[in-house]
Amino acid sequence: MKENNYDYSVVKGFAYSAVFWLIVGLVVGLWLAAEMFYPALNLTPWLAFGRLRVVHTNGLAFGFGFAGIFACSYYMLQRLTRTSLAFPGLARFHLYLFNVAIALAALSLFAGMNTSKEYAELEWPLDVVVVIMWVIFAVNVFATLIKRKEKQMYISLWYIIAMTVTVAVLYIVNNLEIPVNLFKSYSAYAGANDANVQWWYGHNAVGFVFTVPILAMFYYFYPKSTNLPIYSHRLSIISFWSLVFAYLWTGAHHLMLTPLPEWIQTVAIAFSIFLIAPSWGSVVNGYYTIRGRWDLMRTNYLTKFFIVGITFYGLQTVQGPTQGLRTLTAFFHYTDWVVGHVHMGTMGWVTMIISASLYYIIPKISGRELYSVRLANLHFWLIFIGQLVYTVTMWIAGIQQGAMWKATNPDGSLTYNFLETVTALYPYWYIRFVGGVIYFVGILVFTYNLIMTGRSGKESVPEPQPQTA
Amino acid sequence: MDWRVWTYLGFGTALVVTFLWIIIHYYRPQRKKNVETPKYRMLEDDE
Amino acid sequence: MNIEAKPITFAILATVVILIGTIITLFIPMFLPSTQPVSDYIKPYTAIELEGRDIYIREGCNNCHTQTVRPLRTEVIRYGEYSKPEEFAYDRPFLWGSRRTGPDLNRVGGKYPDSWHYKHMNDPRSMFPKSNMPAYGWLAKRKLDTSYSFKKVSILGYGYSEDEVNRQIQEYRKKVTSPTYNAKAIRDQITPPELRNELTEMDAIVAYLQKLGRDVKMLKKKEAVKVAEAADRPGALKNPFEGKADAIKEGKEIFQNNCSACHGDDGKGGIGPDLTDNEWKYGSSDEAIFNSVAKGRPGGMPPWEGSLGKERIWKVIAYIRTLGKR
Repeated sequence: MKENNYDYSVVKGFAYSAVFWLIVGLVVGLWLAAEMFYPALNLTPWLAFGRLRVVHTNGLAFGFGFAGIFACSYYMLQRLTRTSLAFPGLARFHLYLFNVAIALAALSLFAGMNTSKEYAELEWPLDVVVVIMWVIFAVNVFATLIKRKEKQMYISLWYIIAMTVTVAVLYIVNNLEIPVNLFKSYSAYAGANDANVQWWYGHNAVGFVFTVPILAMFYYFYPKSTNLPIYSHRLSIISFWSLVFAYLWTGAHHLMLTPLPEWIQTVAIAFSIFLIAPSWGSVVNGYYTIRGRWDLMRTNYLTKFFIVGITFYGLQTVQGPTQGLRTLTAFFHYTDWVVGHVHMGTMGWVTMIISASLYYIIPKISGRELYSVRLANLHFWLIFIGQLVYTVTMWIAGIQQGAMWKATNPDGSLTYNFLETVTALYPYWYIRFVGGVIYFVGILVFTYNLIMTGRSGKESVPEPQPQTA
Repeated sequence: MDWRVWTYLGFGTALVVTFLWIIIHYYRPQRKKNVETPKYRMLEDDE
Repeated sequence: MNIEAKPITFAILATVVILIGTIITLFIPMFLPSTQPVSDYIKPYTAIELEGRDIYIREGCNNCHTQTVRPLRTEVIRYGEYSKPEEFAYDRPFLWGSRRTGPDLNRVGGKYPDSWHYKHMNDPRSMFPKSNMPAYGWLAKRKLDTSYSFKKVSILGYGYSEDEVNRQIQEYRKKVTSPTYNAKAIRDQITPPELRNELTEMDAIVAYLQKLGRDVKMLKKKEAVKVAEAADRPGALKNPFEGKADAIKEGKEIFQNNCSACHGDDGKGGIGPDLTDNEWKYGSSDEAIFNSVAKGRPGGMPPWEGSLGKERIWKVIAYIRTLGKR
C-alpha cells in the first residue's frame, strides 16, 4: 500500500555524499594531527597547517555535516508530513549544486582564498552560492510542510524549521563583506564588532548545525529504531523554545577576557549556564524513552548509537558552559582542552547520530536489510573508543599546557618559555593521532557496510502493516 | 533606581513569565492528548 | 493558538525568538561607539603592512596564533601589556584567533629585529629545533602583488591617496633593498637574486608582524621615559653568582632554552651579536649586561626580566662570562 510516492533518490544522493566528504575530511584531519608533531608534512603551501585546518573544518561541518542533515531532513520531511517533496527536481538540483559547491570550497581554501572567520572562511562568490542553495532547500521545506497530510508537526519538524530560518540569518549577517576582487573581500565590521558577529555566528553554527538538526534526527530515528514513543513530546517542545531562544545570546563566551565589552561576555555566560536546562531536557527524554527496555542496548544494534550519542551531548552541554566561566576560561582557553571539547561533540554526538540515522535510512529506502550488524557493532566500538582516546588525551594536554602557561617561580618570573609548553605536548599529539586512526578505521567499516547494503544486502521482508489511524 | 535597573528587571521578569506561561500552556491536562499525539502518529508507517 | 499545525506562523515566531538575543547582544552594540572605540594613537596599517596582513590571512596564521593578550598576570608577563579595544579599530576582519598552538602575536611588533623574522619564517627549526611551525621560506620567492593596494586601503577607509600608497610602497622597497638594511644578510640569503631589488611577500609579512602592538608600545615608552628620569639610579649591581659552578651550569641550560636561537649554541652570534669576543656594545659591567638582558635594547634584544626573573638572568650572565674566557 504505497499511497505516497516518496522521493528517495535525493536522500540517497545526500547520504552517500555525506560519507564521501566524511572520509575526505577525516583524511585531512589525520594529516593535520600528524603535522602537529611532524612538521615536515607541511610539504607545500596548500598542505601547510594554516590552510589545511580550514579544509578540515569546512569539509566536515559543511561537506559531511550538511550532506547528512540534508539527507535526513528530506527523509523526515516526507515521512512526517506523509507527502512527497513539493519540488523533487529542485531537490535534485540542490544535490548537484551542493557537491559542486563543496568541491569548489575545498579547492579555494587549498588555494588560500580565505576570509579567516572561523567556519565562514569561504570567499564571497561561494557565499552567494551557499545562500542560493539554502533558499532552494528552504523552498522545498516550506512548500512540503504546506502541502502536508499530517495535521500536527512532530518535534523533528520544529527543529528543521528552526535550522532553516536561523542558519540563513547567521550566514548572511556574518558573511557581509566588501569585495576587492573575485577572490578577496573585507569584513563589513571592524575589530570588536567583527569578533562579536563572528562568534555569535560560530557558536550558533554549533547550535543550529551541530545541535538543532541532530536533535531532529535523534527525536525521529531513535523512536523509529526502537519502536518506542518518545517519553514526552511536551518536554521536547519546552526544550525547543528555551534552546532556540537562549542560544543566540551565548556567542561571546568564546571571547571571554578579550577587549569585547564586559557586559556582553557576562550575558553570554549567564545564558550559557541556562542552556544546560533545555539540553538536558533532550537527554532526559532520551533516557526515559527507553526506561524498562534497556535490554534494547543489547538486542537492537542502533539503540546504543543513540544512547551513547545523547550521553555525549549531555556531557558536552555541561562541559561547554562550565569551561566558559571566567576563572576556568582563563585557564583552558586557547589550549587543546577546547579541541577535545569540540571533538567530543562532533565525533561522539554528531557523527554518532548521523551514522545511526543513515543505518536506519539506507535499508529502508533500498528495501534491503543491513549488510552486517556485526560490522555495525564493530563500527560503533571503533568510533566510540577512537573518540574517547582523542578527547581524553586532548583534555589532559589542555590541563598540562594551561598549567605550564600559568606556572611561575617564587620571584614571579615564568617557569616555562612558550616552546617548552609546546614540546611538552608531543606525546599527547602522538596518542591523539592514534585515536584518530582508530576512529577513521571505524568510519571505513561504516562506509563498507553502507555500500554493501545498497549493493548486496538481502531483500527485507515487508513488516506487517500496523493499523493506520 | 535609574532606568537601566528597571529595564533589566522588566526584561528578566518578562522572560520568566513567558517561560512559565509556555510550561503551563503545554502542561495543561486538557491539552495533553493533543500535544502528545504526534509522538504516537510518527511511529505509524504508511507504506 | 495551535502553532504546531501552522508552519509559516511557526517559522515567523521562531525567527522573532532568535532575533531577540541577536538584536540585544549584536546589533545594539554595533551602534554603540564604546564597543569599538577609535583612538588617535592607534594608526591604520600602511599599504605594505596591510598586504602582509592579507598574506597572514591567506596562510591561515590565525589558526595557530592569537592576537589578544588577556588581562591575566602570567599572560602580561609573557607577552606584554594586555590588549585594548581601540587597537582593533582598523582590523577587518579581526584576527584574535581561538587556539595558541604558537604564541600570541599581539605584542610581537618590535620585540625582535627584522632579521629574526626572516630567519624564523624561512626555517623555524634553524632557530628552535623542536618547533612545529611550518616553514614559509617560499614567501621570499614570490614578488609582492601591489596592484590592489590602493583599492584595498580605499575600501577600508584608511584615507591614503593613491600617491601616498605608491610612496609607502616605494619607501618600504627602498628600506629593505638598501645596503644598510639591518636584515640585509639574511634577506639576501633567502631571496632569489632576481627579487632582491623587489618587494616580496616575505617583506610584507615581516612589516605586518613588526606593526603588531607597536602603537601601544610607543605610548608606553613615552610614559616610561618620564618615570625613568624621575627614578633614582641604583648603585652598581654585581652578579651574585659570578663564578659559581652550579649557577653556571643552570645558566647554560637557560641560555640554550632562551638565548641560543639568536646568539648561537656556542654564543658566537647569529641574529644577535657574538658574546664570546669580550666586546660589549652597551658596556661590559655586570650592571650594563644585566640591563641589556632585563630591559632589552631597541631594535634587537627583547626584555627578559618578566619571563626569566632576576635570579635566572644573573645565572645566564654568569654562564656568558665563562664564554669569553676561553
